This record gives sequence, structure tokens and C-alpha cells, in this order.
Amino acid sequence: MDNIAGKKPALIWVTHLSVLLLVLLWLFPTVGLFVSSFRSADQIASSGWWKALFPQVQNTMIRTAAPATQQMIDGNYVIEGNLFAEDGSKPGTISVWGTSSRAIDAYQAGETADMGEDGRLTVEENGDYRLVNGTEFSGSRGERVFLTAKTPPSFSFDNYRTVLFAGQATDKMGKAFINTFTVTIPATVIPILIAAFAAYALAWMDFRGRAFLIAVIVGLLVVPLQLALIPLLSFHGSVVEWFVALAGTPMEGNARRFAEVGALGRMFGFEPGDTINSKGYLGVWAAHTGFGLPLAIYLLRNYMVGLPKDIIENARVDGATDFQIFTKIILPLSFPALASFAIFQFLWTWNDLLVALVFLIDSSGDTTVMTRQIVELLGTRGGNWEILATAAFVSIAVPLTVFFFMQKYLVRGLLAGSVK
Amino acid sequence: MKKTLYSGAALLALVAGAAQAQDLSGQQLTIAGPWIGADQEMVEQVLAVFEEKTGADVRYVGSDSFEQQIVIDAEAGSAPNIAVFPQPGLAADMAKRGFLSPLPEGTEQWVLDNYAAGQSWVDLGSYAGPDGNKALYGFFYKVDLKSLVWYVPENFEDAGYEVPTTMEELKALTEQIVADGETPWCIGLGSGGATGWPATDWVEDMMLRTQPPEVYDGWVSNEVKFDDPRVVAAIDEFGWFARNDAFVSGGAGAVASTDFRDSPKGLFTSPPQCYMHRQASFIPAFFPEGTVVGEDADFFYFPAYAEKDLGQPVLGAGTLWAITSASPVADAFIEFLETPEAHEAWMSQKGFLTPHKGVDKSKFGDPTTAAMNEILLGATTFRFDGSDLMPGGVGAGSFWTGMVDYAGGEPAADVAKSIQESWDALK
Repeated sequence: MDNIAGKKPALIWVTHLSVLLLVLLWLFPTVGLFVSSFRSADQIASSGWWKALFPQVQNTMIRTAAPATQQMIDGNYVIEGNLFAEDGSKPGTISVWGTSSRAIDAYQAGETADMGEDGRLTVEENGDYRLVNGTEFSGSRGERVFLTAKTPPSFSFDNYRTVLFAGQATDKMGKAFINTFTVTIPATVIPILIAAFAAYALAWMDFRGRAFLIAVIVGLLVVPLQLALIPLLSFHGSVVEWFVALAGTPMEGNARRFAEVGALGRMFGFEPGDTINSKGYLGVWAAHTGFGLPLAIYLLRNYMVGLPKDIIENARVDGATDFQIFTKIILPLSFPALASFAIFQFLWTWNDLLVALVFLIDSSGDTTVMTRQIVELLGTRGGNWEILATAAFVSIAVPLTVFFFMQKYLVRGLLAGSVK
Repeated sequence: MKKTLYSGAALLALVAGAAQAQDLSGQQLTIAGPWIGADQEMVEQVLAVFEEKTGADVRYVGSDSFEQQIVIDAEAGSAPNIAVFPQPGLAADMAKRGFLSPLPEGTEQWVLDNYAAGQSWVDLGSYAGPDGNKALYGFFYKVDLKSLVWYVPENFEDAGYEVPTTMEELKALTEQIVADGETPWCIGLGSGGATGWPATDWVEDMMLRTQPPEVYDGWVSNEVKFDDPRVVAAIDEFGWFARNDAFVSGGAGAVASTDFRDSPKGLFTSPPQCYMHRQASFIPAFFPEGTVVGEDADFFYFPAYAEKDLGQPVLGAGTLWAITSASPVADAFIEFLETPEAHEAWMSQKGFLTPHKGVDKSKFGDPTTAAMNEILLGATTFRFDGSDLMPGGVGAGSFWTGMVDYAGGEPAADVAKSIQESWDALK
């Protein structure tokens, strides 16, 4: 009897340790991503994020100030300054340096290099330099100085600035943010509405073929949505054409454009010459609803089946209709399951790019979502990937908020139907 | 109906030609293309000129998966008015399926008259339509130059190297750098799902430098088989550079796994990891921040063999604009692309080359681009990127993967044989 109440199991520390380990394992990539989001592209390319937290010895090349800044001092032309200041980087400590790419450690800090043609360059440990020449400096670029220096960690908010505020980014990100909400909120609410009704029927109403219907829905869970994308899109197209034909007369050569508008079309506010696009919010809501329904129905039905039978039978005896039972008893009791599915669906539609690309984003430029905006920031050849980590943290903000507010339902809902 | 539409459009185009700037205010023109990010901002500058001239409302949407997106949109019947194709293969395919409309009449003659090597641009833009008749569907605008070697002039100066002008000199320089205890080349083939494509450019450049252009054309259309000894020899020419541990930064094993976007960074490290990098004209976008092209980094023409007497072949690529949903505004826009202004609007920015002979060359944003354009206009042979012209399964499939295998150590003959087999399987 090891497990009597009040006595802790002997191996409790094993549990704690493994939990700690799992948490660390999960956090590890996120921390890396977080650190990377504050680093520049060159920093990311030259060293790993774990090195970014400590001072490191680096070989770099920094140019002195341009010849335009030279001054005449005691008959010599002089360019002075601090190398780290020229580069705009954090001050470091120089150990050795050189002036040729072939000999980057030719001089110790504080030594003076003979540059030929009467030129002399002195570089101090703290990066101060003095370039002296008897004749005038020419050219537009400063002298190259190759440094081996110990530099402190350096982070910047530049990436966040690029993602959120640079150029047109604010406009676009703002628009994309609102569009994403326009997609996700209905795409979360509609499937829950439908699925709750369906789940009640499948759980508590007796009709022929119920078991078969449930089997079909479970079967639909395994159908990959990628398979349905294009057929569904052309189906949306034919719905549009059918609607145009019903609400007016389609234009010759373009079945999606009104030549004339009938009574029904006028009711919707169409005018002759209007074209209906088969891509749009309606289409993307319908698609998300369709792809979300099997899981929603399955999850909710399993939860509802587990509710006590007595309550429902009592209500029936008291003369409640199915609709009353559903709204007054089942819905309030199923709240954890509804909430957990809402979280799932919200997260998945928030992070979705594929469905939005197929059903929403067209060439008008008005319909874009956050995920796509982030892809766009990467540049034509995917080169600006330093902003990827940053963009991930920007985009993660809303789902995280949703998660933290509703996480108690998530755990309860995850267990929906599995524990009785 | 379609016919009257076209003749109407042609009439309109004629009128437009006479009146120059017609009034299209309130009309929407949608354009889809492969440019996003900084490139998108540049193309929008060009579109703004058109908007200003005509009053049309132009919407541009870029996509990194443009090739898939445009097919989806065309299938769904929601295609934009104009699509910008990064390669002719896909455009030819879409023309055949009836998703493209031929360009306004007279465009062909205009390209012949006003583009350097006009005939080859017309050939690259003409495809068989759904009825099998050949017509001009694609208008080339914005060209990339591929036969370039990038280097850091000051590193060359420090080491006392000269820019080579022949392939023999380039090979001698490569060996010289190794003899000095340094590494000459940075080569990276990594590119996510497209890993291997930088090597196809190498092989194409080598084909043009070892064989006459007719053989290149035959190779692209598979009249010359992929496992032909001449092709295998070109692959081995690439191998001379890439499969020698001493020649490549990180050793030959690192070639396939290094990302092409990261590989040029070796030129700028301290001390330099390599001295030369062969890549197209767009690569400065991946140089470290603050690099001034022309001063911190420069390029030279990837030279030809002096002894082979094949002239100065140039390998390039380009984007072509095609009408995916016909409308008078779309036709007017193609007319607009014929004006020097349309070219100059992007020239004055960055990374734009054009075969248009009538542009004001002083409008180039920087001297480097102007110098590249000189290479383009001075080419004795211009050939389009072969892998873009081959069927997708080869040019964007087995050719890429084959090159990765080759870089990994497989013999050239075996690789060429398996690529030919995949080509046969497509027929």
C-alpha cells in the first residue's frame, strides 16, 4: 500500500524531473526563435543564437571614415574616429588587426601600420583610429580595417520595426490583421453552430441510419483537405454562375458577369456589368466550415453522449421538446467541449495560409491575411528570413491571448468523451 | 464574340497608339506576379506611371508560389488581367490550355524592331494556342543576366589577382588561388524545394562555352539527348570547379548543402572564405547589409574559352507578361510596356536589365546595372535559361536533383542517363 492518501509516491521526483525536462524540450526552440527575432540577418548567418547571449570574439571588417572627412593637422592629412562608431556596432575590445585580407592579424592593438606611400594607421584597443598621410586621401570609400575583437551581445528591435512599421508594412499588416479576424471569427462560429445541432441529433435523437452517419463522419476525418481544394473552388465557381443566371442574365463569354440584373439581383445590390468573384470571404468561410465540421461533430457528439441520461429523460417526461432540451440543458452543459473546439478551430484558421490562398486571396490586393503578409515580407527569393522569427512572434500574439484566456476549457475539452 | 472583342481591342490599340495616353479612369487592371517584398515596391513604381498616364486603377498582387497560384486562379475563372511569368514553360502550357489571350496586333513587329536580338524574344514569347496556331502571347520585360562572376575587388588587390578575360585564365586563377593557400570559389546549391538549380545555370553556361548555340538549342528541346557525350562533358566542366575539395569553400561536400542565399557571404568574411562566386544579376540582394556594389563587390563576365572561338555567349532569364483575362485596359498596358518610360521607371531603381534599344541609358540607377546591360547588349549569343525551357519534370525536377547527386559524387554519365530517362518517361 504505497499509495495511501497523504503519502507521496516514492518516485515523485522522477515525475517532476521528467515534466521539467519535457517543458525545457518544448521551450528550447521557442527561446531560440525569440532570441533570433532580435538579431540582424548578418548576425543570424554568422553565429547561432546560443552564442548571441555572451560576448564573443569575432573577425570583422570595418571601414574608416571616407576621405571626405579628412582634416589638415600639422601639415598632414588626418582621418580620425572610432571604428565601432563608424560601423554603428557596439564597442568591443580589439586584440589584433590588419589592413589586408591576407594578413588580418598583422598588428597588435595600439601598434601603427605602415600603409605605404607615407601613410600610417594606428588602431587602439577601444577602436579609436588615426590615419595619417602626407598627401591628400582620395576615393570615396574609407580604408578597410580587419579586426579581431571581443564584442558584447547586441540586440535590436529592427526586425520588429520592419514587420510592424516599415514603409507600407503598417498599412498592409493592419489590413491583414483585420482581414484575418474577418476570416477566423465566422469560420469559428459557423461550424460550432452547425456541429452543436448535428452532435445533439447524433447523440440523443433516434433515427434510422444514425450509426452509419456517425461512421461516415468519422471516416471524413481522414480525408485530406488538400484533395478537395481545387474541386471545391470550381464548385464555388459554378455556384456563382448559377446565381448570376438566377438573379439576372449573364454576359456572353463571361458567365460570372451580369448583362442584366433581375429582381433578385437588385435585392443584393448588383448592377449590370458587375462581376462576382468566385473567391471571397463567403467562399473561405464555407471552406473552413466544411473542413472543420467532421472533427467538430465528432468531438461534440462524444461529449454530449457522456452527459447523464436521466436529466434528458426527465426533461422529456416533463414535456420538453428536443429544441428546448438542446438549448436549455445540452448547450450549457457542453460549454467546455464547445470552447475547446472553438480554440482548435480558431488556432487553425488563424495560422492557415493554404485555404486562404485558394479561396480568398485574389488579384485585387484587398484580400490578404497575416500569414500571407509574412510570406510576402520574406522577399521574392526568400532572402529576408531574419524577419521570420519576428513575424512568428507577432502573429502568435493573438492565439496566445486566446489560449491563456480559455486554457481551462482546452484541457477539459481535450478529455471530452475519453473519461466518463 | 471573342473575335469581335479582339478586333475591337486591336482597334482600340491602334487608337491608343495614335493618341498615346488614353483615358481609362475608373477601370480596374489586376496584375499577378512573382515579385514580393522590395521587388513589389519597385514594380508598383512602374505601375504608378501607367496609373498616372491613364487614370486606370492598377492592382498588383505578388506571390512566392506564383506558378501554382496562377493555375488555380485560371482554373477558378478568377484570373487577373495580366500575369507576369518568371519562365516561358508555364506560359506556353497555359496558352495551350486557352488561359492566355494573344497580345495586341503589332506587338510582334514592335519587339522585332526595338529589342536587341528581337527574333529570339519573339520566339521565346510565341506559343501554340488551344487551336494549335502559333501566336505571340508573352511580352518580355525585365531580364536577368546569369553569366556573371562576383568578387571583392579589394581582396583581388590585396592578393594581386587580375580579373580573368578567358576561361583559360579563370582556371589558371583558380589554381593560383589554391597554390596561395586560399579557397577560390563559393558555391551553394541549396534552395529549399528547388535545391540544385544554381548548378543547372553552371551547366548551361558551360554548354554555351563548349558547344555552338545550335547544340544548346538541341539539348533544350531534347534533340540532343541529355546523356550525349557533349552534355556530359559540360557537366564535367562544372565538376572541375565544384567537385574539387580545394576549389570550393567548405569542400565539395558542402556544395549541395549550402544555401545559395548564404553562399555569397563567404566573399565578405574576414578573412575571405572564397574569392569568386558565379551567380545571376539578382544576387547583390543577398550580400551583407551595407555592401556597395561597384565598390565593395563587383562582377566580371563569366568568360568563354579563347581557343574554342564561340564568341561571347550570355545566359539569361526574364519575366514575360501575358494577358490572362482580356480587356481593353490590359491591351493598353501592353502598349505601355512598349514605351521607354515603362523600362526607365524600373531602370532608375535596382536590378533591372532590358533588351529595349530605345531607352535612355543614363537613367540606370547605378553604374553596375548599366555595365551588366552592356554585357547583355554586347552578347554574340544570348540563350535563355535552358532548365526553364525544358519540361517541368526535367527542368524543375530531375535536372535539379540530378545536379545534387552529381555534386554529391555520382559520375556525370550516370546522372545524365537518369535525367534522360526521366525525360523519356514524360513523353
